[in-house]
Amino acid sequence: MTRPKFPLIATVLTITSLSPVAAQNGLRDIPDTAVEAQLAAFQLIEGAKINLYASEPAVSSPTHMNWDSKGRLWVLNSPLYPHIQPGQEEKDSLVILEDTDGNGVADKHTVFADNLHIPTAVLPGDGGAYVANSVEVLFLRDNDGDGKADERRVILSGFGTEDTHHLLHTFRWGPEGMLWMNQSIYIHTHLETPYGVRRLLGGGMWHYRPETRRAEVFMKGLVNPWGHAFDTWGQSFMTDGAGGQGIHFVFPRSVFMTSPGATRILSGLNPGQPKHCGLEFLTGRHIPDALQDALAAPDFRGNRINLFQLSDKGSAYTSTQIDDLVSSRHGAFRPIDVKMGPDGAIYVADWYNPIIQHGEVDFRDPRRDHTHGRIWRITFEGRDLVKKPDIGNATEPELIQHFNAPEGWTRNAAAVELRSRNAESVEAALKSASAPAGVAPDLFALRKVWASQTIQRFVPDEAVALLSSDNHKIRAAALRAMYYHAAEIPEALAVAEKAVAAPHPQVRLWAVSVLAQLDSPDTVEIALRALDGIEADEFLDFAVWSICREHADRWKPAVTTGNPFSGPRQLLYAVRALNEAIGVDAILAALESGELSTDQDIAQIADWLSKVGSAADLERLFAFALREGTAPAQQHTVLAVLDSAAKLRKLQPTGDTARLTRFLQSPDPGTFASAASLAGLWKLEAARENLETAFLDAPKDTARARAALDGLIALGGPATATLFDKTAADQAAPFLLRSLAVIGRTRMNPKAGATLALPVLAEAPNGTDPHGIYDAFLATKQGPDALAAALAEATLPQPIALVGMNKAQSAATRPEALVAALQKAGDIQPMKTSLSPEEMEAVMKQVAENGDAKRGEAIYRRAALQCVVCHAIGGAGGVIGPDLVSIGASAPVDYLVDSLLEPSKKIKEGYHTALVTLKNGDAFAGAIAREDANEIVVRDAAGQENRLPKTEIAGQQISPESLMPPGLTASLREDEFIHLVRFLAELGKDGPYKTPTNRFMRQWQALMPHPSTRDRIGHYGSKIFTEDVPDYQWTPLYATVAGALPIAELPEVEGRGKNRLGVLRTFLDVKSAGPMKVKLTGKLSGLQLFLDDEEITLPGEGSETELVLEWNEPGKRKLTLVGVKDQGLDSISLELLEDATKAGLVELRDF
Amino acid sequence: MGTGLALLYSVYWEASPDGVLKMKPSLVTGALTGLLLFGGLPAAGETPPPLLRSGDRIVLVGNTLLERARLYGHLETTLQIAAGPTVKGITLRNLGWSGDSVFGDARSYFGPPSEGRERLATALGETKPNVVLLCYGTGAAMSVDQGWTRESDHANTSAAGYEASRELFLNGYQALLERVRAASGEGLREIVLIAPPPLENLGKPLPDQVKNNRRLAGFRDGIRELAKKNSLRFVDLFAALGGDDFRGEVANPALTEDGVHHGEAGHHLIARELAKGLGYSESVLPDRDLPAREELRAAVIEKDRLFFHRWRPANETYLFLFRKHEQGRNAKEIPQFDPLIAAQEKKIEEARAVVFAGMPKN
Repeated sequence: MTRPKFPLIATVLTITSLSPVAAQNGLRDIPDTAVEAQLAAFQLIEGAKINLYASEPAVSSPTHMNWDSKGRLWVLNSPLYPHIQPGQEEKDSLVILEDTDGNGVADKHTVFADNLHIPTAVLPGDGGAYVANSVEVLFLRDNDGDGKADERRVILSGFGTEDTHHLLHTFRWGPEGMLWMNQSIYIHTHLETPYGVRRLLGGGMWHYRPETRRAEVFMKGLVNPWGHAFDTWGQSFMTDGAGGQGIHFVFPRSVFMTSPGATRILSGLNPGQPKHCGLEFLTGRHIPDALQDALAAPDFRGNRINLFQLSDKGSAYTSTQIDDLVSSRHGAFRPIDVKMGPDGAIYVADWYNPIIQHGEVDFRDPRRDHTHGRIWRITFEGRDLVKKPDIGNATEPELIQHFNAPEGWTRNAAAVELRSRNAESVEAALKSASAPAGVAPDLFALRKVWASQTIQRFVPDEAVALLSSDNHKIRAAALRAMYYHAAEIPEALAVAEKAVAAPHPQVRLWAVSVLAQLDSPDTVEIALRALDGIEADEFLDFAVWSICREHADRWKPAVTTGNPFSGPRQLLYAVRALNEAIGVDAILAALESGELSTDQDIAQIADWLSKVGSAADLERLFAFALREGTAPAQQHTVLAVLDSAAKLRKLQPTGDTARLTRFLQSPDPGTFASAASLAGLWKLEAARENLETAFLDAPKDTARARAALDGLIALGGPATATLFDKTAADQAAPFLLRSLAVIGRTRMNPKAGATLALPVLAEAPNGTDPHGIYDAFLATKQGPDALAAALAEATLPQPIALVGMNKAQSAATRPEALVAALQKAGDIQPMKTSLSPEEMEAVMKQVAENGDAKRGEAIYRRAALQCVVCHAIGGAGGVIGPDLVSIGASAPVDYLVDSLLEPSKKIKEGYHTALVTLKNGDAFAGAIAREDANEIVVRDAAGQENRLPKTEIAGQQISPESLMPPGLTASLREDEFIHLVRFLAELGKDGPYKTPTNRFMRQWQALMPHPSTRDRIGHYGSKIFTEDVPDYQWTPLYATVAGALPIAELPEVEGRGKNRLGVLRTFLDVKSAGPMKVKLTGKLSGLQLFLDDEEITLPGEGSETELVLEWNEPGKRKLTLVGVKDQGLDSISLELLEDATKAGLVELRDF
Repeated sequence: MGTGLALLYSVYWEASPDGVLKMKPSLVTGALTGLLLFGGLPAAGETPPPLLRSGDRIVLVGNTLLERARLYGHLETTLQIAAGPTVKGITLRNLGWSGDSVFGDARSYFGPPSEGRERLATALGETKPNVVLLCYGTGAAMSVDQGWTRESDHANTSAAGYEASRELFLNGYQALLERVRAASGEGLREIVLIAPPPLENLGKPLPDQVKNNRRLAGFRDGIRELAKKNSLRFVDLFAALGGDDFRGEVANPALTEDGVHHGEAGHHLIARELAKGLGYSESVLPDRDLPAREELRAAVIEKDRLFFHRWRPANETYLFLFRKHEQGRNAKEIPQFDPLIAAQEKKIEEARAVVFAGMPKN
């Protein structure tokens, strides 16, 4: 197929007659609304059963639920969602469900309120209920006992209206008696509290104490933080309905993805996991032992509830996904909340809707369900239910004894009940209560501390006493209890100072959090000690980094007269956190004296000074690189940052630049590349000859030639222009070299480059542009117009013209003139990208009837389509676009078709493109990767990070264009397009395209062909592939949804004789030494497996085997697989057979 | 007297070279108008001239205090009645926004505060008010030492302390006044600056507000100066609700929910004090519980509810902001609130007539 076309439309038009009425497209897919239909579609974890607790009309479109201490379930119904219609009343409701006869089915319902507007959270307590009612928090109470609220007070107002699925949500009582509440990415909140104005712009979590009316922000970020749960020790975990990182460990001042203006963010514990709504710990006697303390997180897109197990890791945790609690083939099952009930069973709120979301799908789409809603109840065979505790009638001492219940429900209900009791009686009961047998006294004491906070009788000494517990979780919890009151506790500073040196990193983390609340001038000096003597993980490091910045005013003045900290490394940490040029002399002196000497020290100093240092500082750094005895790796580090200082800040060392030439002899590719670039930027004519030689040597060493190219361009002048002109026009020169010459000339002068480019493009092999000629034009302001002008009277082979169109259409500036010129030059038929309702109807029918998901997956994985470059499925793949793990279960087919044809029509939240324009006219489109006072880093569609100095930025806006170019699917035949859509439509639905929870190794690197492989394998055997041969190139390769690597997709590497090999490697981060069982699948006779450089013996035959790998020590380990192609080996997979109790032993390395 | 004043107004406005946009009185009429109309500072005990005229479009601009006025309806109800039976067809648009500042922080959605100011200007351009009531100051006074606007320099300055915060606030307020004048169009007749009511002490565990009230008194003085400088009417709710006499005593009965935000009774009192400050006698105001008044108030609340959906619709991002390419087609529904609001305004006028019909005629 040489002629790319888009035959889909023509075919579609011929079949539209099949369906004359297309206005209701897709309505035929609406699942059966009968309860029985849903019951028949459930699949439950072993031993579990499910029954209907309540349904419509009492429950319809439920958005949230919580229990009161009487064991009644309060449920919010919002048929109004997603948007009130003019003339419609605000009559969303709050209902109370009761199971009065204890048979597991609600038999009574009371409408407590029916005058709400898209309510998204409810929390019973204080004799009524707190309700998030769009822009405000209400407190509703029934004073006359008729079961209906007659008092309605606004407790808080100032939550934004930007998006109805982002409104304030996820109310929960904390163990300390505060109301915790979350908001999502688009909401901008402005609260006037009795303590001042509090603002939260974007996602995050608040805590609010009704008695004091104090509302404070706890953490920031996350897209849709729709889940929050406390573990036994009061630590907070959250889920995200759009971020896809599973469980998040959060702590004060922690910042996560999409928080506006964040310079640093933390990530969740399960990158690449589905997105969730709700979160609950499974606790109590009715829950099977294997699921005890598991986290249940509803994946509403995938019609299932995921389970995760936590284990400790450093200051935080690892989280491992285990089997799903429940999953359903019924497309309207939308679990959006899960709560343990008073009888020990698990309750699930099912929003019930075949379609979700309202950004992508029309507000008024007729397929939206506004009438149904279900509450399901999950119990376990052979396990007794829990006798529902009588919380309401319990005495205060009895309530306190309920703190010892194995059921989290009971503990929480007892604590909430205390709010309504006489504080003196509670206080007296707390004083006399002691831990019963079988309950750890310090855990009971912790719960009493929480209770005293709940009733406003907190005694700091009781929390301080817990710091002598031998359980680090108790110590961390004691610090957390102090955190909220830290400023009023005189001994807080001394306690935190002691705790920053605690052996356990989580205790240190909380000590730093307490410090952040204090006014002392010494907080940062003390906090920095938390990094001493341990290797801090990213969470602890974040906390220390954060306080260095927040309390900068306290230590910055002291830096002018010396080092206020205990050593130069602490100073370096603090000034780097601040990213300012203070303390430079002290740091450079420590570098020169050798006091700071590790590779990490040098990298940190160099990186920092490249951003903030003066020319004189850079000179000292350069002198260090030139000094006798400086290791090559450190030289490279220094040169690389001098390069970025020259590019971003136009700064260079003050001394003689000719000293650079010695690095142009370096055999180290990185050092050479930095030196070549610097030679150009510093206009070092003495380097020209070296650079020209390396450039002309391109066929032998492309990487070196490319570096030389950069240097030559920057060096500029007639000599460079002549070299490029001559080389590009030399028909005898290799295509590679001519391409590079065109690129060079284009970047110097796009008009001159355009003339040279056409003949070279015409010779492009296989209709590809492997060296990036088009990219060179698209990267400059005048480039697109120059190329368009040159193309005016020219023709180009169609394939290479199409490549250009794809690239131009995804460029930040969308150069229309160039697109038109390429279309004309390549004689490309204009593509129709939007479908009429009739055409859409026909496509959907085709997808349903003829789409083949298996073939679709193969098409999805084709390199030419570039899907995997930007999108991941279950974490395996690119990070530019949204993870597609459950797209099929969440998005209707017409949405998928639209998104493929017109990417800009629907853009997922959090994936909007920022368009940053520089003063020189260059434009960069992409995601804001991070930002600080000096620069913005934009990650573009190629995954490239572009550092843009703020002083050069002319404008910044949210682009209406998707990073995904239109027309990516233009090269597909109709049947291929249909298969691709079918594959996407199956993703996440129950079946073979729901990402299994098995721990398959999914992220691999494949070796690219290299001329030396045959020789080297002859000398060294396959073991050569376990070594880091510098000129070998590895390309990312991701497993299929089922976890396999199709051998046919591997680049063909030459082996012995006529053997063609596929070579793969992956990395593991091993947490602790010990054995690990794995399962290898694939024709074993054709496979070799290496752990680091050691070959693992495999059985000679068979198609799968279980192996035990021995980790001798923790750290980064490499697994290499070598497979022989074309000998019956079709696919390989490697699975970690991990017992849940061993969770966190290893994790995938993010490479 | 009323006729005379009206005449004076029109003479003055017609004489003004560039219409009403600039409220600086001319040399000749300045002394007179400044004294009679805009000074808003009649000598103690003197009643200012009544504010409202038939057909007036009133706009409220402020923070949580004004935004929440829509929940209670007392403010408009009281003004509608105070204006008297001969004044007809008054409409009111509440552009109050919780947590807002004179810089427009809370109105800015995804952008910097300047976008919030822009949004306010657009709304004023659409509502074309004759009268704008402005009330700011509480948030700023309470945020001294804390930094209270995102435009970084401002945050640094305001975090510096009381004096700097107050100066920043007043400079910002002056700029806001100019923006309001420019954006409101030629029909703008008066801007009224309202000093916010004092904070209350509700006893432990709620915080003591003595310090904040002292600061707020200073802000009030600044707002009064600002009004004088700009020849604007000024209403001192701080004094009217006892701010100057506050010594830290616990409020009994409390007018606020939390020391800051007024409940239903508080809003009723505020509405009456505002009416007094605007030149109306308390004697024309009926009992709070008068059924006809409650009818009027219910109509006002419903109108404000509809208007909220009109001017701050849910899903703003999809309807009007950067995701409008997805759901912007549904924005067509939003103007469909206009006829509903108009119909509700008719009900307000009818309910008003019923109130007047039942009142003794003077």
